[in-house]
Formats: sequence, structure tokens, C-alpha cells
Amino acid sequence: MTQFKRRDILKGMGGLAGLSLMGAGSLRTALAQGMASDEAWKQASGTTIQFISENTPPTTAIAANLASFKELTGITVNITEMQLGALVQKVALDFGAGRSSFDVIYADPYQVLAPYHRGLVDLNTFIKDEQQPVIPKGIEDFIPSQLAAAGRFEDEESLYALPYDCPTMIWIYRRDLFEKYHDQMQQDLGFDPTPSDSTTWEQYYQIADWFSKGNASEVKYGTGHQAQQYDSLMCDFSNVLFAYGGDYFTNGQQIGLLGTDSPGACQLTSDASLEAARFYQKLLKIAHPGSTSWDWTGVANAFQNGEFAMMPEWHEFAGSLESSPLQGKIGYAPLPKGPARSANLWGGTGIGINANASPEKQKAAWLFLVWATSPQTQLMGLKSKVGGGTPTRQSVYDMPEVKAASTPPTDMPNMLTADTMLVAWQDDHIGLRPKIAQWNEVDTVIFTELSKMLAGQMSPEETMQSAKQRIDRIVGA
Amino acid sequence: MALLTGKPSAQRQGFELAMMSPALFLLALITLVPFFSIIWMSFNDVSLMGGLAFEFSGLDNWQRVFTDPDIRSSWLISLVYFLATVGLEMLIGTVMALLVYSLTRGSNIIISLLLIPMFIAPVIVGLLGRFMLDPSHGLYAWILNETGLFDGNILGSVGSAMVAVILMDVWEWTPLVALIVLAGLTSVPEDVLEAAEMDGAKYAQKLLYIILPSISNILLVALLIRAMDAIRFFAIIFITTNGGPADSTKIIPIRLYDIAFRFFDLGYAAAVGITMLVFSIMVATAFTKLLKRQEKTQ
Repeated sequence: MTQFKRRDILKGMGGLAGLSLMGAGSLRTALAQGMASDEAWKQASGTTIQFISENTPPTTAIAANLASFKELTGITVNITEMQLGALVQKVALDFGAGRSSFDVIYADPYQVLAPYHRGLVDLNTFIKDEQQPVIPKGIEDFIPSQLAAAGRFEDEESLYALPYDCPTMIWIYRRDLFEKYHDQMQQDLGFDPTPSDSTTWEQYYQIADWFSKGNASEVKYGTGHQAQQYDSLMCDFSNVLFAYGGDYFTNGQQIGLLGTDSPGACQLTSDASLEAARFYQKLLKIAHPGSTSWDWTGVANAFQNGEFAMMPEWHEFAGSLESSPLQGKIGYAPLPKGPARSANLWGGTGIGINANASPEKQKAAWLFLVWATSPQTQLMGLKSKVGGGTPTRQSVYDMPEVKAASTPPTDMPNMLTADTMLVAWQDDHIGLRPKIAQWNEVDTVIFTELSKMLAGQMSPEETMQSAKQRIDRIVGA
Repeated sequence: MALLTGKPSAQRQGFELAMMSPALFLLALITLVPFFSIIWMSFNDVSLMGGLAFEFSGLDNWQRVFTDPDIRSSWLISLVYFLATVGLEMLIGTVMALLVYSLTRGSNIIISLLLIPMFIAPVIVGLLGRFMLDPSHGLYAWILNETGLFDGNILGSVGSAMVAVILMDVWEWTPLVALIVLAGLTSVPEDVLEAAEMDGAKYAQKLLYIILPSISNILLVALLIRAMDAIRFFAIIFITTNGGPADSTKIIPIRLYDIAFRFFDLGYAAAVGITMLVFSIMVATAFTKLLKRQEKTQ
């Protein structure tokens, strides 16, 4: 068996890091050439692995560029893409059968990692193995909050997944309308309406109300929301909840980062949580009435159709919005702050390795993980014509061409949100839902009770009380 | 001899049984094994991690089925949905069939057009419905709004969401009822109808005393088919409202899906699934008995 020295591998990775400064045109060739010399990349040549992923832009981009990975490693990767719900079912049944139909798993932190982390390989096994290629620039290059939220569970040592995508909720608004009506709004509302770090949710409400009163002919309403009885409603509400200082459990940020098996009693009846629920109900009363039937895609489509002036939305929708008739008319900002802070719900995911896979396939899977999350591949994803998400690594944001792409015109529309995102991912801005094994059930309780509140069947106090009772029963508090 | 009497001999029966046994064994394997597994699951807590594992929990899951207010609420919503869809489909389907039957020309084209909805997959019907009822660009939402009939969010409001999903199902499956009834109408005795006409019977009288009694069996068959289908209705609601808003369209199959495939509480899901199966058998038995009674009286 060929032995590799860590120094050789690091040398190879040094070349890799150098590649980060290269242009996109030569990227694929350069990646293959720079790494092919290192035998470590060829150690699983001839292996075929299966990758199951949600049908997300990063996977679409990777699927289109698998040839460069095969050229580099000799490994064949078959990708199965599907909706997240179906993916969770397949992964759970795979674990249940004790099999490895899928070697690389798109490990949603809440629906896969939390309940099934014991079925994933602790990646430290490979990180510490001197015969394996190291992660380019180390795991320290991943945005710290994302590394913990996407990759860890319960402790800061084990690592089950590498950050792969990172949709995060931000404030998306019609910049053209905010500029056109700026003076009038400022005069009517008594504050500068331009979205900024100091804008509060209360001011967001007033701006929305101003638009809804017909002051701007271009839109019918001020704000739209993803408030369908679905996961999207929980996401939309969580931004307000965290901003007001409320949370689902005590020490919520820590439970969001590392996760736990015993979150304790639900905190939705705290004063801050109740205040958040009252505000959310008030806000939705003046929102576009379609909000209660829209998920994230529905609200983005309505925004694109010019129905309203602003919305809290996943930042990755920037790509499609910037290729619509609204191109160049949209602004991005961190979500407004509440009495506690500005909170931007993170919805990212990592990719991990199935512990049931054979040792040979696990090695091949590790090579794929390193490649798929490398700065070069993330840059390639940004430029991809068929997809591409947003990078999970700081070094990619530091690349000159990526920095240049954060102002229009750009061929990387997602990078128009870069400045906003780097703020949104800071520890005091990121919003993290609880990473617990029972999350799906808890999530369902939250969006179902909120839906009842928005339908006028329950008051905010009754809603939070009912949600707390149910959640406490589910988590055994 | 067996051929002459029409009764197979014991020897021949044994041969036939032996010939059928591979198929019977396969059938048992793919139906009875899962069936008894599900019954066993309903008395266990089922875990998927580290391989399928059962932990006996006695009657816990069954106790939950009969005390869980969410399940009770879903059954009530299912009942409303079941009565509304099946009732409307039977009524409109029968009227459609009678109208088509009365046509003297062009009935084939009309039938072809009427049947189109039932050839569309329920998922597509759901997507179409969601598109047409979208408050920002939906055609139906716009028409209802412009005419002042409804200015709210159809799929986002309690009540209207339920009406919408019922009408989507009615739109898709009424043609099936019409087709079945149309087939039954061909068996109505023409000579009796002519005699009634000569006696001066009006259409309503002919309908009540001749046509409907003649097709009552076929109506029951249509009712049975649609009732069985309505109990397991899933796709349209899953696509359009996902059980919302405020759980107002969360019929029992949607609830079961959540329990089984989102929460992976498979033991409890097995218990809920078995109650659905029992309900289906009860409905089917009731209709079959009605059908037999009908046959005896004719």
C-alpha cells in the first residue's frame, strides 16, 4: 500500500490554496492538474460512491462538474437529488436497514444530523489520518458559526459534516422604491426608512404600513411573508422571536450551535416570546393577504411580480430575483433588530459520510467531501451557469474577484448579498433553531399553533401556551 | 365426470391448488407479512437508528390513538371532507351522465372532454389549483376578487381552503362517476320508458320511478369506488395546503404521513394506519351489504 507523507500532502494543498487566486476559466483544469500529482487523491480510484442531496443549487453545480473530480481521483460519484422531506425518509430508512445505499449524505442539521448523528462518521478520523488529504486551509476557514451548526452535535470535538450550503434569511427590498419615495417616507414616518443596522422591527412595520396605504403605485402592499402552515412559517417567526429576545429553549443559541438530546422546558411563554408573538400577529395583519398560503418560493414569486415592497427571505433567492425584471432594483440588508438584537435565521446544511459504508467507500467519500467543500469548488459553484449556492468559507469571500462581484453588474448574483451575509453570520446576528432529535415534531407544533394564531383562532398568549405544552410533552420536559 | 357435473374432483382441486401455490405464497409474502408486521409494530416503539429495533410498549400507541385530540380532529375533518366530496361527486356526476345521455348528437365529443380531468395526476391537479388560486397571479382568485364574491386568500383562510380542496377533488373525479352512471343508463329498459311516456309521465317521474331505480346498483358501485378513494385522499391537500391553515384541512392521511414519515414515530403510525384500514373495511362492507340487499329486492 502506498504511504503518503503529511508534508507531501500539505505541499499539494499549498498548490491548491494558490489556485484560489486563479481565474474561473482555468479553474477546472488547474484543480485537476494541481492535485493529480498527489497520490493521496488516487487512493480510492475505481470506487463508485452514492451522494444523496436535496435538490439545491450547490449540488446542481457540483453535478455539472463531476468530471473534474473523476479526473482528479478516479472516483465515480452518482448523485441522487430530491426534496428534503423525501431525502430524510430515505436516509432514515437506510440507517434503519443498517445499510449504506448512500455513502455521502446531505446532513440537514435538524432532520438528519440531530436524530441520526450516530449513523455518520466522525470526520476527525480522516482529518487526523496522515494518509488522507487535508482540508484546504483547514476547518478554521469555514465560517465558525456554520461549522458548529452544520457539523457538530453536543460537543465541540466530534465533527459529522462539513458546511456545504448556507441559506440565511435577510431583508430583501425594492431599493428603487425606497430611493424614489425616500423623502416622502422620511417626512411621513419621522425616520430614515433606508434599511440599516439600526432599523427596528417596529419601523419595518411602519414602512410596510406606509406602502400598504397606497402611497406607492408600484406595489399593493408593504410586506409579504412565507407564512403558510409549513416549516417556512416557523422560519419567518423565528427571526422576530430571537430579535425580541425570546427563544424556544433556555440557552437557545448554544442549543442551535451544538444541539442537545435534552433541551429542557420550552421558553415560549417568556415575556420576550409573548411580545414577539404579539408583534408577529400585528405585522401579518398588514402583510399581503397571500402570505398565509406562501412558502419561501411563493413569497419570492409574489415579490418578483411586484405585489409588495419587501420581505424576509432566504438570501439564495437573490440569484433568481437578479435574473428577473427586478434586476438591479433590489436591495439586501440584515433583518431589522428587536429589543434584543437582529436575528437572521440560518438554514444551512453540511455533508457527511455514512458510517455503514465500507472503509473503501468511506475513503472515497472523504475525498469527495474535501473536494466538494474546497474553496475552488465553491468558487466554481458561484460562477456556475446551472446553479451554485453561496460559499461557506471565509477565504472565498476574501478572493478579489468575489469581492468585486458584490457590486453590480456581476456574474455572481448571489454575491450581491455578500456584505449582508457576512454580518448576518456573525455570532450576535445569526439565528439558530434548536438542534434536537425531535425537531420535526417540535417544528410542526410551532407552525401549526402559529397558523391558528394567524387565522384568528387563538390569541398570541394562547398560542405560545399551547405550543409550550405540546413541545414540553414531545421533549419530555 | 367432473366435467359433466361441473364440480371439480378432489384430486383436480389438489392439482389446481398446487399450481397456484407459488403465486399464493408470493401474494402472502407481500401482503400478509407486512400486514402482521404493522399490527406488531402498533404494539411497539420502533427505532430506526442502528438497525430496525422494536421495544414492546403494550397498548400505549392504541391508547394514544383514542385519546389524542389531534387525531380526533383529523377524523372529524376527514368525515366532512369525505361526505362533501363523495356527495357532490355522486350528485354532479349523475346529473352530468343524465345530460350526456339525453344528447342526440355529439355525445362522444362531450364525453371525451368531460373525462379529461380524471386523466390528470392528483399532484398536477394540486399544482394547478395552487397556481389558479394564488392571490397574486391566480386566475380564479382574480375572478372571485373582481366579481366581489371572495376577496380573501382562498388557500390561506380557514373554510375557503377546505372548500377549495373539496372542489379540486370534485373537479377531478366527478367525470369518473359520470362515466360509470352513463354505462348504467344504457341498461335502463327503453320499452318501459316509452310506455311511461305514452302514459303521460313527466321527466321527473320517469327519473324517480324508472331511471334511478334501474341504475341504483351502478350508483352504489360508483359510490363504493369513490368512497374508498376519498378515505385515502392525500396528494391535492399535500400540495396545496399541507393540512393548513390552522390544521383546517389536515385530514387523517396527512396526519398519518406526518407521524410516519416526518416524525418517524412508526409504532404510533402503524396504529393510526390500522384504524384507517378498519374504517375502510367498514365502509366497504356497508356498501356491499347495501348492494346485495338491492340485488335481492330486484
